[in-house]
Amino acid sequence: MPGGAALIDWTSGLALGTVGDSPGGDQETAAVEAAEIARLAAEQHAFAPDDDAGAGAAGAGAPADAGPPVEDLIISNRDSYHVLRFVGASFDGSVFLHLWLARAEGNLALARIRLGEMAERLVPA
Amino acid sequence: MTTVRTTDHPRLPVRDKAAAASRAWSGVSPMLTRLAAEHATGVLLREHGTLHLHDGLVVHAESPSAPGLGTLLTARGTLSSEEWQRALADAEDGHGIGCRLVEGGLVAPGALEVCHLTALYDAAYFALAPSSTPGRFRYGTAHRFGPLHAVPVAALERETLRRRDLLRRIWPEARADTAPLARAHPVAAPALTRRRRAVLDRVDGARTAPDIARELGRPAFHTLVDVRRLTAAGLVRARGEPPPPVVREPPVVLAPPVPDPHITLLRRLRDALEAL
Repeated sequence: MPGGAALIDWTSGLALGTVGDSPGGDQETAAVEAAEIARLAAEQHAFAPDDDAGAGAAGAGAPADAGPPVEDLIISNRDSYHVLRFVGASFDGSVFLHLWLARAEGNLALARIRLGEMAERLVPA
Repeated sequence: MTTVRTTDHPRLPVRDKAAAASRAWSGVSPMLTRLAAEHATGVLLREHGTLHLHDGLVVHAESPSAPGLGTLLTARGTLSSEEWQRALADAEDGHGIGCRLVEGGLVAPGALEVCHLTALYDAAYFALAPSSTPGRFRYGTAHRFGPLHAVPVAALERETLRRRDLLRRIWPEARADTAPLARAHPVAAPALTRRRRAVLDRVDGARTAPDIARELGRPAFHTLVDVRRLTAAGLVRARGEPPPPVVREPPVVLAPPVPDPHITLLRRLRDALEAL
């Protein structure tokens, strides 16, 4: 089945793990490009509302229950869907899952739900 | 009126594998390359950190500059520090601490693997930094985390070089990576993300970037990225470094009194006419 997934750190652009094919052929390049998109979304105030402007100094970093600044990103093109799902703050909010699937066979709604479940399994509450 | 600022962050670098392969040797440590080729098992001690090898693959890395796996796991509340200490004490009998944490149901296997890989790449970045003394290798020492995920030496070196490139692109000056950090006061401070503000809040003239990483329970490299961006934005400077010079108007160069060429020409014309 054409498609695959990767777990990527968006600060460095490193793929911590990959399965399946890579979009564009090269896994490292795909990881860096996906990290670029993820970082942009996570750092722009329009997409990542800064909810605790006053609480920055309290505790060691963000509170453990604070979720990642963005939940997920969906990119669709002529022949595929890409879902980028941010993983919880246990990893400092710098890790996301990147799933891509062929548009002809993939079910975007289902993929998004399953990816969300996977992200939660990775970081048990 | 608000000004719209687009991101000024440089793109993440991609290392050209074809170009790297065509060069005679592209690694960062000839000794490590040789150890990988001979499938060595043991511990490589370098000036800024230690790499644990098993059958030529890197299974663990430690560096005084990077927070360890325990810090990463406990800082975010994934694991309490008592649980970590207990697991560390139990693991003395050679049983991998990683297996113990997972078997005890304390950490999900996926979470442990992510934290372990993050810590490994993070410490290896510092361990593989250029050093002034040669590294030493002790054969046959088992490392105590147990066989988790192993990383090929070539992949680790490639990632380390890519990370160096990334930092250099953000801000070329490396002094802030190790020196105590002090706040600077830029004319126009940019808006900060929550992550970067947490770093800036801890800049007090004494802490270094690795200190801040340890306190926040974040990988040290990630903190370096934030520190270099803060430096580039003019919010942070390495202590002991003179504050950036105030940008002055370029001095007005007074032109020497050159007579207007037209007047010179006219005078010569007049002189010529008078001479007729």
